[in-house]
Amino acid sequence: MRIFRLIITVILWTLIAAFFHYTLPQKDIVRVTDTENRRIDFGENSIFWASPDVGSDGTRRDRDVFFIQTVQANGRPMVYRNEDTGWGWPPYFKFDTSNLQTEAADLKSTAADPQWALITHYGWRNEFYSIFPNAISITPWEGPDAAKPIPWVNIVILTLFAMVTYAIWVRWRRFRKARIDPAIEEIQDGWTAAGDAVESKRGRIRRWLGTWRR
Amino acid sequence: MIALARLVVVGFVVLSIVYICLSLYSRAVRRRKLAAEWEEEQPPIPRDTFIRVGLEEYDGSLRRKLILGVYVVPTVLIGVIIYLVNFA
Repeated sequence: MRIFRLIITVILWTLIAAFFHYTLPQKDIVRVTDTENRRIDFGENSIFWASPDVGSDGTRRDRDVFFIQTVQANGRPMVYRNEDTGWGWPPYFKFDTSNLQTEAADLKSTAADPQWALITHYGWRNEFYSIFPNAISITPWEGPDAAKPIPWVNIVILTLFAMVTYAIWVRWRRFRKARIDPAIEEIQDGWTAAGDAVESKRGRIRRWLGTWRR
Repeated sequence: MIALARLVVVGFVVLSIVYICLSLYSRAVRRRKLAAEWEEEQPPIPRDTFIRVGLEEYDGSLRRKLILGVYVVPTVLIGVIIYLVNFA
């Protein structure tokens, strides 16, 4: 029971961490090597793509998607997609995809004469699944070793999440102490009074409940 | 436009649920406080009248209208995000 509970807890927190890691904005220092536009037929990875440009026909299974090809500060490649998130999830309300593509193309540079840029994005790059992080904004940046800005948005959102989680947890604990534990005890007292036959079973529920206790 | 309509409708429903719950909770808290005040001060009016007058006063108060912030804050937040992401 204890092992089972531990596994569930670990899976739950891993999912929550993965959710935030995917959805919250991150900033990379990169050098844009090229920008392109290619047609994508969405398959089983369709959940990792955002929405078509706001106002266009979104019913087709395939469409053209902008891409921004970059090289990171550590020399490894990173390819971003550039899609509207529109009014949907995640709530970036990004409508300026074409403008962003223009800005990215404007920052194009070669390895010999690099122009570094700070790119804000969400999402993951996974080669086995052909998924790409979605670029949100791009600005020229001093160099590959320059400091990145403090991620205030992430700090605020994660702090709020921690506060809400703690508040719910505390209330649940208080509720259980005040309502559920006495009820269980009452049931068990009743059993005790019922006689010795039940005696051996006494506390079984309590012990089971105890496995849920922190 | 369908996506926007969906956001507005779902957002309105969710925020309305929050608004109603918060209003009921706030009124209950006010009622409890008025009862405690009556117990403490023992004014020369019946308890029910004291609470009723107090709640009527509360209904017209700024404190109650502040709960409308449930609708205002997310709307402003979305406006700010749209500006920062697309136009800043």
